[in-house]
Amino acid sequence: MTSQTKADILKRHQANARLNVPLLPQVMQNSQDLSADGLASPLDERIIAAAAHALESGQTHYVDVPGIAPLRAALAEHLNSLSGASCQSASILVTAGMQESRFLTIQKISEQYEDIVIPAVVHPGLHKALGVRERKIASLPVDESKGFLPTIESMAQAARAGRRLFYLESPSRLSGAMYAADEVEAIHQIAVESESAVIWDQGLAAWIVGDYASLASCDSDLARTAVISDVWPGMGLASWFIGCIAAPEAWIAPMQSQKQIMAICTSTAAQYAALEAAQLYAESHPKRLRQLDRLRRALLETAHQAGFEAVDGDAVNILALKLPGQKAKTGLARLRQAGFEAAAGSLFGAPDIIRLNVGDSTAQAIQQIEGETA
Amino acid sequence: MSRQKKQGTSLLYQLIGEARTYDDAIIMGRGDPDFDTPEHIVAAAKEAMIHHHADYAPPQGLLALRQAIAERVKRVNGIDVDPETEVVVTNGGQEALFLMALAVTAPGDEMIVPEPNYNTYADSLAFAGGIKVDVPTYPETDFRADPQDVRRAVTDKTRALLLVSPNNPAASVISPDDMQAMLNIAVDHDLMILADDIYDLFVYDDFVHVSPASLPGGKERTLTLNALSKAYSMTGWRLGWIVGPADVMARVTELKAAVSGGASIISQYAGIAALTGPQEPVEQMAAAYRRRRRLVLDALDAMGMKYGLPQGGQFVFADIGFTGLDSAQVAQRMLTEQHVLAYPGAAFSKDRANYLRMTFLQPEDKLQEGLERMKTAMQNIMAEK
Repeated sequence: MTSQTKADILKRHQANARLNVPLLPQVMQNSQDLSADGLASPLDERIIAAAAHALESGQTHYVDVPGIAPLRAALAEHLNSLSGASCQSASILVTAGMQESRFLTIQKISEQYEDIVIPAVVHPGLHKALGVRERKIASLPVDESKGFLPTIESMAQAARAGRRLFYLESPSRLSGAMYAADEVEAIHQIAVESESAVIWDQGLAAWIVGDYASLASCDSDLARTAVISDVWPGMGLASWFIGCIAAPEAWIAPMQSQKQIMAICTSTAAQYAALEAAQLYAESHPKRLRQLDRLRRALLETAHQAGFEAVDGDAVNILALKLPGQKAKTGLARLRQAGFEAAAGSLFGAPDIIRLNVGDSTAQAIQQIEGETA
Repeated sequence: MSRQKKQGTSLLYQLIGEARTYDDAIIMGRGDPDFDTPEHIVAAAKEAMIHHHADYAPPQGLLALRQAIAERVKRVNGIDVDPETEVVVTNGGQEALFLMALAVTAPGDEMIVPEPNYNTYADSLAFAGGIKVDVPTYPETDFRADPQDVRRAVTDKTRALLLVSPNNPAASVISPDDMQAMLNIAVDHDLMILADDIYDLFVYDDFVHVSPASLPGGKERTLTLNALSKAYSMTGWRLGWIVGPADVMARVTELKAAVSGGASIISQYAGIAALTGPQEPVEQMAAAYRRRRRLVLDALDAMGMKYGLPQGGQFVFADIGFTGLDSAQVAQRMLTEQHVLAYPGAAFSKDRANYLRMTFLQPEDKLQEGLERMKTAMQNIMAEK
């Protein structure tokens, strides 16, 4: 069959560079896959029991579009305890994972603005979400010495130029670097003074040892901030696809409508599992955090001895290495040859970087890169 | 926004919200089967939690699930697909529809949809910037989508036909001859077909379901959606699929990755169990729906109400024009006064504001009670005239 209509459809999609950006796996595909956004984590048997009990007792039907009430309450409470915000359940929308959170916030909040400002170095999932429907986009320059975070001054400039919607990651999804409290306060001031809105991806905040500065700490009633995040990272739910958005109720309403149009609700099994994980998170996460922190410190030493420069980062679940020129490309090829996968910085907009998950096989992976590229 | 001015999806959600406030509400609105998911599927999900909770779930879905879907669409729908390249798993039928609309529609493109139709078709199409062109169907012909009317609606901006059989809310089934005629229109005008087959297992009397992709020359230009929600009573699991030609499905995969990444690994393993395990529960549920349909139709006949004969689906679309009120008002009064939820036809078509959609997704005793209450509501309304 020769169909011009189909040919036009294919041509349109194939020309859409943002939409065709590869997405990183949500979880490690095996022990040598160090490219994933989420770590392969054990699942507490109490979470299994809770989710199974919910299903066995008939929680197999549609639930409320924004999520089951107790989970929304638990997520609001978690955000409040993490950041000192005063978020209510009504400001929480449960999503089918981080990518759906990106998609809903980007596509729906941006409808109220002329354009959206995004970091020059950012998670590829953002580009993919933007590729679904054309949006006017402006780029924020980043500071490589600060883990590829956009500079405060670049944000101020964008605001002065009339930009009113910003998308920021802290910690950075590439490097794990986060804004310090005074920088977050400065971002908040820019947003207030310019009456701007900020979509704030703090999904990696769970992997920070010590204090984390959330924009929700400054904008405690979420007047102009939408926080997006994974739900209880490290609790073994990465492949269950569950995420959340916390935002002003006026923004939640259109996103909730869109969620209804797209999927009606989020899987009940995932929601009940997440609800149980909320109870266990405080008990089990600190231990995991300490383990990863120790491991990452050792990996930094390994990388240093091998002659690699590590990018400044705070999140303990990832390690970004700088390999200038063609070395990153060569390094990725060598890793693949040895059976490893890593996240290419080029997907984020930083071609000299390789991002590795912190895990038991990471040291071995670094040694594989070392051969020719260090 | 006032109650009366709410339309479409928001109107339905307002009614659902009110229904929740009544302990004795009888829900004949939402398309959510009252049966719980069959036990062997829940057991498979539990197994998956233990052994597969951290498996990687690619955007297009687990290959084992795609293989089960390919086998199912071959067996039930007569569609041959390659599970490697021609199947994408979605978060339910709703996401499947959304992705199909995004895949084929550019801003300004027109899509022809027989009316009345499910309210979120318009929402999905609007998001993609497309224009929904409704082709009316009529109660006199049990809401048959007439291919001649469809052909007349084609313009130079038309890119696709959306064919829903059995239709929601009118429950009409596109006959084999009409489906062939629809495909001929698509070929003649070089249109894509989006086929919503979600009720394909629920066809009554002598009516027959035909997937356009199963007809010669159909597969190359058809994207077909389905889901486990209705057939396996798995609405809360959010699992559906799209099948279609490999070149378009490659684009659908990118869209799926962009919109939500993947589908829950637990739901996917449950889906494998549903499709490859015992099918008796599906047959038992289908038998129950046949009995309930008869019960509802008998009750409507006894009340002297007119309706389009439900040839398939899980609902009946009934005329309440005799009340002198529009369907939003009647639905509201049924709910507020009798605690019975039915959906107003206005949510599905501006021209069918004198209809109600009533599902038969309740046990027979509850359905009976709901119909009695509905009768009382109608009598009260008529007494005020």
